[in-house]
Amino acid sequence: MTASVYRTARALYPHRPEMWEPEFLYEPLPIPDDHPELGLFSQELQSISEGLSGTSIPAALNERTGRESEAAFHPRVADEPLPARMLNEYVYCPRLFYYEHVDGVFLESADTERGSAIHKKVDKGRGDLPPPKAAQRGSKESQPAAVAAVALAPDTTPGKEPQPADIADADAAQEDMAADGSPKLETIHSRSATLGSERLGVLAKMDLIEVQMVTVAQDRSSWVPVTSFKDAQREASPSVTAPMPSPPSPPDDSPPLDTQSGTMCNLTKRTSKKSRPAADQPDLFAAAITPPPAAGTAIDAPCLPAPVAPTARLLHVELKQRVVHQVTPVDYKLGAPRRGEDGNEMWEADKMQLGLQILILRDNGYTCDEGVIYYRATKQRVPLAMTDELEGWIIGKIAEARQVAASRSIPPPLMNSPKCVRCSLAPVCLPDETRLLKRVTAPLLPDSPDRSADKRLSTMPPPRRLMAPRDDERALYLNTQGARVTLRGEVVVVKEQDSVLGEFRLKDLSHVALFGNIQITTQTVQMLCEAEIPVAYFSMGGWFYGLTRGHGLKNVYTRIEQFQSAQDPHRCLALAQRFIHGKIRNHRTQLMRNHVNLPDGVSLKMKRAAGDVLAARSLGELLGMEGAAAAMYFQNFAGMIKVGADDDELPGLEPVKKADRPDFTFDFTKRARRPPTDPVNALLSLAYSLLAKDCTLAALAVGFDPYIGFFHQPRHGRPALALDLMEEFRPLIAESAVLTALNNRMINPGHFVRAGEAVNLTVHGRKAFFQAYEQRMSSLVTHPIFDYKASYRRVLELQARMLARYLTSEIPEYVPMMTR
Amino acid sequence: MATPQPLLSTRTTFLVCYDIANDRRLRKVFKTCRNYGNHLQYSIFECELNPREKARLETELKDLIKHDEDQVLFVSLGPSEGRGDRVIAALGLPYTHFDAPCYVV
Ligand code: SF4
Repeated sequence: MTASVYRTARALYPHRPEMWEPEFLYEPLPIPDDHPELGLFSQELQSISEGLSGTSIPAALNERTGRESEAAFHPRVADEPLPARMLNEYVYCPRLFYYEHVDGVFLESADTERGSAIHKKVDKGRGDLPPPKAAQRGSKESQPAAVAAVALAPDTTPGKEPQPADIADADAAQEDMAADGSPKLETIHSRSATLGSERLGVLAKMDLIEVQMVTVAQDRSSWVPVTSFKDAQREASPSVTAPMPSPPSPPDDSPPLDTQSGTMCNLTKRTSKKSRPAADQPDLFAAAITPPPAAGTAIDAPCLPAPVAPTARLLHVELKQRVVHQVTPVDYKLGAPRRGEDGNEMWEADKMQLGLQILILRDNGYTCDEGVIYYRATKQRVPLAMTDELEGWIIGKIAEARQVAASRSIPPPLMNSPKCVRCSLAPVCLPDETRLLKRVTAPLLPDSPDRSADKRLSTMPPPRRLMAPRDDERALYLNTQGARVTLRGEVVVVKEQDSVLGEFRLKDLSHVALFGNIQITTQTVQMLCEAEIPVAYFSMGGWFYGLTRGHGLKNVYTRIEQFQSAQDPHRCLALAQRFIHGKIRNHRTQLMRNHVNLPDGVSLKMKRAAGDVLAARSLGELLGMEGAAAAMYFQNFAGMIKVGADDDELPGLEPVKKADRPDFTFDFTKRARRPPTDPVNALLSLAYSLLAKDCTLAALAVGFDPYIGFFHQPRHGRPALALDLMEEFRPLIAESAVLTALNNRMINPGHFVRAGEAVNLTVHGRKAFFQAYEQRMSSLVTHPIFDYKASYRRVLELQARMLARYLTSEIPEYVPMMTR
Repeated sequence: MATPQPLLSTRTTFLVCYDIANDRRLRKVFKTCRNYGNHLQYSIFECELNPREKARLETELKDLIKHDEDQVLFVSLGPSEGRGDRVIAALGLPYTHFDAPCYVV
């Protein structure tokens, strides 16, 4: 047994230390086949299984880890019924559908927020959907009833409109008729009904269904209310004779009822039970509605001849029933309808959603020919009639959507579409950026700029920036030792003893960083998790311990790709080259811009180093090249610090008391970490720590596992991927923030303390540096490729997203962020 | 394609002023507004809201107030960032506006 097997056991069964013991390893390990990191271990496992000749890993496992078994990746989504809302998204944009339905990515926008407010309002309304007509569902009971109806009322054929003359009890019947003699229709509203159709494999929640009810007389032949009738007769009047044809023997379960309204209920209950759709909902209409027993239209045989006049008359009035004539789904939309050639039309996506509702209602036995969308913006009702053509289109789209959901690759973004501008997922999807990088990336990278690439770039329309250039939210740094953090409503309150240090609304926070001894209540952490505001923990000296966050995005497929790429040495090397290339280029730019007097040749050497890196043959070689270039950079770093010791004596600066002031200077000779031994190194260490935090957050936001990297190897407590992402941003953000803080005298020698060898920042020093760092993070930079302005924090996230695109093979190349 | 000059922030500053007839509802409205902005004066909050936050605040308030007795006004002061002249000027006690890139305590 080798050590690697031992490690595997430890990784697979972290919660069962007994499994790590060597004796367990003589038996083939039972591998949990739902282990999230199987992809990572598959190679190792395979070699074990070969080594253990005869004892093999379950076949299912090997299948699961195989890249080719596409269908196995989305078994869950492929079989589930599709929500109608998702099909609506599919028609809007297949990529949006994939993000929401398969990847589980969803972002709130003002539109979705208002939309859900409307739906909430609609949901509050009461009213269940009455059951469809029994006759249409072809239940057995309806057949003899129809025959009976025809037999008893010879003048009234099913389907023919009843004439008043046919009706014996004209007074009673007239109540049901409008003036022109047509049946009186009454509209009731049913709200937020969820129905499904097995045929289509679709589930829909319908905002509102207008149900047209028609009142018809109860056909007596279908009654079996024996006990109740007897009871009713006994109570009401002993002289009344039974009006009914002799009914079958009373069912044992029919409860005795003693009032006439009770009779009614009993009747309804019995009949509606038979015809209730499968979805078992409390039926508020139960007292009023029973399905008509007769086939054909809803209003055949409105009444019977009256052989038993007095009682029949009484009962006739009691037993009129309302049945569903027709239903019309109505959907609310916030926007306006599309302007068509003749009048306003429905949008395609709305057509899909409403058409589906009609089909689903039909599949559930209702008569439904039309749906309506109510557009709030123009206060218009736009109708949609169901046609065969429309049905065919819908069914075709459902099949397409299923195929997309089962596919492993996401559909491409729309081409320069105005839909993207309104799409809430645009900042995640990055349609224009992805399209651009899809075509012209390879020549962008090598050091010798390829003219043809430039040309091709300029012929493409520049990407629209479909996101805010910077976040509205800000970071909250908690740095006052002993502070307590609590929650009041949606406001974070920071207290020291009894005095309030600050109050911060959740909506204004992007993340929270705690330094040292800060107490935070569980309620606060829970609320922060729910609001998707991560909490990062640091030591007082700035060591990044880790972070807490909510469940966040599902997006597991990005991780699967990440794990698989991390196993592939070629991909790792290619990516590592890109990261380091970017870093060296940015180091060079930094020196050229800020150095007071850059020695000859440094710029050229760095340029060469950046080029050489792309040809490195192994990670080891790359590491050597990176070290040499970094050494060259830090040799010249001091030339970018433009503040000398005597500057402190300049007038206008706050006098610093000599006694407090250890004679710190901002001389820099070489990079020293752990511990930093001079102020500049202390600042750099803190800056890198903050940047590692922000890279970790960016990696998590995109759906990566921050601990599995390509250049940096996983080691205890190191967010390797975040460190990879960080390389090109070190000069752009961290070092630049340090230089700005020093050169603008936001930080002065009084901001440091010495503890043994190490030099640390004071509380005030840290506070000043957080500001300097965040200032850099939120300052705008023109993106070299996309050519729009965005904050560094945005660009960081953008790069993380582009890395994900590269890993999922959507774009052919990862291009590091390099300022011009 | 001539795109309009993008704003630096998607947030707009609103003065949210309310007049609530009933004490219980008043307290609720106050508590809700506190989650969205600074309590500037009695019955006036200064809220920086992006469209999503505004929609949410509106929904919450709509659910709280009695529509035939109370009133809430949203007065827009324009985009929160990049506003040239300060729209709000104070006499007496100073009006302060938070403008740092992050919160530090
Ligand atoms: S941004 Fe455009 S391409 Fe991307 S999901 Fe939205 S509509 Fe589709």
